[in-house]
Amino acid sequence: MNEQEILQKLSSKFPFLEGKGRVARARRIFCDVPNASFREVIDFTIKELGFSILTTMTGVDDGETLGFIYHFASNNGMMLNLKISAPKDNPVIKTVTDLFPSAEMYEREVEDLLGAKVEGLKPGRRYPLHETWPEGQHPLRKDWTYVKPAVSGK
Amino acid sequence: MIKLAEKVVTWARTKSPWIIHFNTGACNACDIEIVAALTPRYDVERFGVVIKGTPRHADVLIASGPLTKQQNDRLVRIYEQMPAPKFVVAVGTCACSGGVFHDCYGVLGGINSAIPVSAYIPGCPASPEAIIDGVVKLLSSLDPKEEKAAK
Amino acid sequence: MGKVTIPIGPQHPALKEPESFAVTLDGEKIVSMVANLGYNHRGVEKACEGRTYTQALYLIERICGICSHTHSTCFIQAVEEIAALEVPKRGLYIRTIVAELERMHSHLLWLGVAGHEIGFDTLLMYSWRDREAVMDLLALLTGNRVHYGMNVLGGSKRDISPEQAKQILKVMDVLEERTKYYIQVATEEVTLIKRLAKVGTLSHDDAVKLGAVGPTARASNVDRDTRRDDPYAAYAEVPFKVITDGHNDVYGRTLVRVGELMESYKMVRHLVKNLPEGPIAVKAPRKVGPGEAVSRYEAPRGEDVHYVKANGTEKPERVKVRAPTLANVQAVAKMLENGYLADIPIVIAAIDPCFSCTDRTTFAVKNPDGKAAGFIDWKSLREYSIKWHKNNGVDFSKMRIKIK
Repeated sequence: MNEQEILQKLSSKFPFLEGKGRVARARRIFCDVPNASFREVIDFTIKELGFSILTTMTGVDDGETLGFIYHFASNNGMMLNLKISAPKDNPVIKTVTDLFPSAEMYEREVEDLLGAKVEGLKPGRRYPLHETWPEGQHPLRKDWTYVKPAVSGK
Repeated sequence: MIKLAEKVVTWARTKSPWIIHFNTGACNACDIEIVAALTPRYDVERFGVVIKGTPRHADVLIASGPLTKQQNDRLVRIYEQMPAPKFVVAVGTCACSGGVFHDCYGVLGGINSAIPVSAYIPGCPASPEAIIDGVVKLLSSLDPKEEKAAK
Repeated sequence: MGKVTIPIGPQHPALKEPESFAVTLDGEKIVSMVANLGYNHRGVEKACEGRTYTQALYLIERICGICSHTHSTCFIQAVEEIAALEVPKRGLYIRTIVAELERMHSHLLWLGVAGHEIGFDTLLMYSWRDREAVMDLLALLTGNRVHYGMNVLGGSKRDISPEQAKQILKVMDVLEERTKYYIQVATEEVTLIKRLAKVGTLSHDDAVKLGAVGPTARASNVDRDTRRDDPYAAYAEVPFKVITDGHNDVYGRTLVRVGELMESYKMVRHLVKNLPEGPIAVKAPRKVGPGEAVSRYEAPRGEDVHYVKANGTEKPERVKVRAPTLANVQAVAKMLENGYLADIPIVIAAIDPCFSCTDRTTFAVKNPDGKAAGFIDWKSLREYSIKWHKNNGVDFSKMRIKIK
């Protein structure tokens, strides 16, 4: 199956994805998916389209919303990058750790660095920020700027 | 009597410094070069340098990497566990000043933000030759005979 | 003896990176293990947003001191894709040559570190001495032993002269002989096999489920290698074998790495002999995008993934790095299940942890009754491990094959 065929299969199974995908180059497909239908879509892409590897998940600050790009890969090197979004004042997404145990670190990362809330993620130590990092400070948000504290040399 | 004891201790310290190595958040390039300084090509052990595992036995703390917030407390704790007199060597540009990471939010600066530093060895990474040069310079500055000669 | 929780790290002489693992024991057997990562977190991704692409390139190179070319190339590939730049063939070949040289120095480094962890320091001294040959080559080609700065947006910064090419081929011959010897020791020396076999087992299915990558996964027969599956740089034009092994343990991971060393020598020879003529870089614009790209690279430790989003200015909008060790770390807990305390040093070393890339996380351990018990530092753990195995017949001074 080539990249175009994969997109076609996605749109025919999920008509709401029509026009939301693009082939960037060989082995790279990008597609925007509504948050509410994400689980349905990935059940299909994992089982029927062979994208059984989650390489990583990237959180982005898109201004009004927070975006979450799941970078899936298949055994033959193809990548399907699916992006969901959630409003910044209520950035809730559902965990995928039941399907991909490795997603735990990526989900903790978006919680810590972007302030997202991942429903179903089991409680645990924060990652990657230090335990003394103050609450409510999410460095990867665009409106967060770092002011270097003055440190005196000894 | 005390003078003699002092002389022996200083001789032992300068002839065979016991070193503890701590990485405060580095990319490991400097750490690898520090270990490489032990291997046959550079062989820092011929200077009597011995790497120990615990701060309580060490004379010299060799620290690499920019000081990250997480490592701040731990670095200070290790420094405090070392018996006096103790010396600190900052290996690599990051340990000297924070280097290329100086304005990153996880980084406080060079390790002199937390503890006093006796010698700075710049480089990205500091090559094994530079590390040996720095350590030898530090040792000879401790040797009272050398100090007299330098004066 | 009841359950005991032992925190290990974050200051320990053997593993050069700060990380902390907490292990729950029942006697000598491991019940559970959790990792706390984060000690090396510097904030590189955010810092990139405030730098131009060239500045960001130098910063990203310094994410890791062992696979610096990995991160540099992976990042610049993504930017070149967004900017629709086509790197000339010669530039790609040079990038690939440096990439394989990096793999060589990394695997030889690993061989030494692994030897050190199991009490076989002679291996450390010899493999690192051989590694110096690669470091000299890298210094010859790039000007530095580490952090080569070989990439530039649009291609390679430096060319390879015919004299340098001759030198590369000479060194490949020398290293191939030395590595054949290490393979002999690895496959025939009973002491080494006894020490590494059946340690840190990870089944094929677990490797896949937990997302392991690189030699760690390939030693569990997971046939994945980004260089072959999703070719980048010049890999589509270089014939090479993907080394897999079915031992599922540390021994298998050793075999995969020495096998990869042999393949790397062949690949560099092929690349040098077939180096195409032409320019090494194309001119690149200062402003890039808008656009986004995902770049993948087979680092010595496994698959490295970079995501870059550009917005048409000279600074990136978003840079995301997923280094290979983060993918392998989750498998470590599984590998140590039902293992012995004495096996921890080599099992953790066997995934070739690059906690620098992973953002320096620490491992935390769970204690079933919530109480912390003893404290053991890494050096003591390694010494305990070496003594424990010696009592079980692993004595490197009695090796059949003398290392030379």
